[in-house]
Amino acid sequence: MASAIALDAVTKRYGSKTIIHDMSFTVEPGEIVGFLGPNGAGKTTTMRMIAGFTTATSGTVRVAGYDMATQNGEAAKRLGYLPEHPPLYDTLDVSSYLRFVASVKRVPRASVRAELDRVIDACRLEAVTTREIYKLSKGYRQRVGLAQALLGDPDVLLLDEPTAGLDPGQIQETREVIRNFGSRHAVLLSTHILPEVTLICRRVTIINQGRLLAVDSPAALQRASEQADRVTLVATAPESDLRAELLAVEGVIDVAIRPAGTDDGQLAVDCQTDAGEGVEARIARAVASRWSLHRLQREQPTLENVFLRYIQGGKQ
Amino acid sequence: MSGIAAIYRKEMQTYFRSPIAYFVVAVYLVGAGYFFTYNVFLTGTATMTETFQSMSILLVTLIPLVSMRLFSNEYSARTMELLMTLPLKAWEIVIGKYLGAVTILLLMTAGTMIDLVPLYLYGNPETKTIISGYIGFVLLGMACLAIGQFFSSLTQNQIVAALITVCVLLGFWFVGHLEGFQNSEWMRSLFSYLSFALHFGDFVRGLVRSEGIAFYLIVSAIALTLNASYLEWRR
Repeated sequence: MASAIALDAVTKRYGSKTIIHDMSFTVEPGEIVGFLGPNGAGKTTTMRMIAGFTTATSGTVRVAGYDMATQNGEAAKRLGYLPEHPPLYDTLDVSSYLRFVASVKRVPRASVRAELDRVIDACRLEAVTTREIYKLSKGYRQRVGLAQALLGDPDVLLLDEPTAGLDPGQIQETREVIRNFGSRHAVLLSTHILPEVTLICRRVTIINQGRLLAVDSPAALQRASEQADRVTLVATAPESDLRAELLAVEGVIDVAIRPAGTDDGQLAVDCQTDAGEGVEARIARAVASRWSLHRLQREQPTLENVFLRYIQGGKQ
Repeated sequence: MSGIAAIYRKEMQTYFRSPIAYFVVAVYLVGAGYFFTYNVFLTGTATMTETFQSMSILLVTLIPLVSMRLFSNEYSARTMELLMTLPLKAWEIVIGKYLGAVTILLLMTAGTMIDLVPLYLYGNPETKTIISGYIGFVLLGMACLAIGQFFSSLTQNQIVAALITVCVLLGFWFVGHLEGFQNSEWMRSLFSYLSFALHFGDFVRGLVRSEGIAFYLIVSAIALTLNASYLEWRR
């Protein structure tokens, strides 16, 4: 059976600028794959090539076995796509909009009603079916976009940042929808939010600056992200003593100290730590027992930091 | 075919849920009504000839307001990404949208037919001339819409699309006037052949010539083909 999505040596150039360099990966049926990268990494461009909105400069993109360069019509029938900006007609109401998409996707007339009910239910749109789209909040717009992609039960679902603009409750629900869908079909889900992929994806494809860095399990990514933990604090103390004290604390990997920029000589400290429990508490105890500690905070790892760790980890 | 039908239905829903279609049709009917009263009642002749001439200029300037949103709006609302990734061919999108716009044109045209009531009540007009005038009018409108739709696909700015279309349409309208400045025979015939106004004049005088019909249909076909090819090329 053909891969749901297969990229082979895909390159995309706009003029002299190369956006995507020689990218290859596959997504198999029944698999949810995360497509992870910082903003501007080329996620949306890659999504658009898979969806057939733009064509690859070289290399082949196959969806359900069909070459997007020559058989995109066949592929389009098996594809559901939620672009980065939900493509909505503001003047239509939600159900007319979904009816339009259903008719283009050749949903048989007899089953349109049931199909609409299915996606409206899955995306929790019951309350707004008769409302014009321009009146909807950002969260609802995103979900109407998702509902549109789910219409016709496509084999392959492409979701470009599906949880952007949703509140935490809605994010939970949307992940549930994706997880349900992904148990039967192939899903490629782009995001720049780390926990998202670790929660719902089986595999993660990591890209940066248009290049594929790795295809790995969320667990490996989780390990990389744990090494990217940081604790920042502000204290009044002699710099060299403080550094020695902090490096002696269990779990601290590296320490950077600079003046906090206040008049009274406070120091701002940035500690790189492992992800072990209670690092911040040990640091707090060590500093506060000898000097005055003004502020202490454990930072969530940013994707950029994780990337850095990940790449460094790969080289070691 | 079902792709064309789906696009057409969507277009019609969009027209009647936004004020622009109502506005254009209303302005057009007010203008056409004015020309009719002016030409018929003030001159006292029961003919549509003068009215058709005035209506056509009004049509050429109002068509860009109908056509400007056809693709520009899909770009700026980012719905083009949906259309181009759904199982639709570029020409299905083009034809579906075009048929929607032509429907608005037919509604505008049908609205002016109220003028015929007083014409037949109080006068004795030439029915054949009126029919041929209406045929010419619809063909002219179709050619203008196709050109406007093509230019709308080139920019995401509706105003820019409308302005380019107005310029091009007025160019085609007045190009016949260049005829008198030319010495070479083939330049003269070229300019008169390209003129929207001269072909339209034939219809208004009651001449339904196959050359005129072919001219407007070919212009429409060229514009729509360019339109569809451009969408494919953009991928």
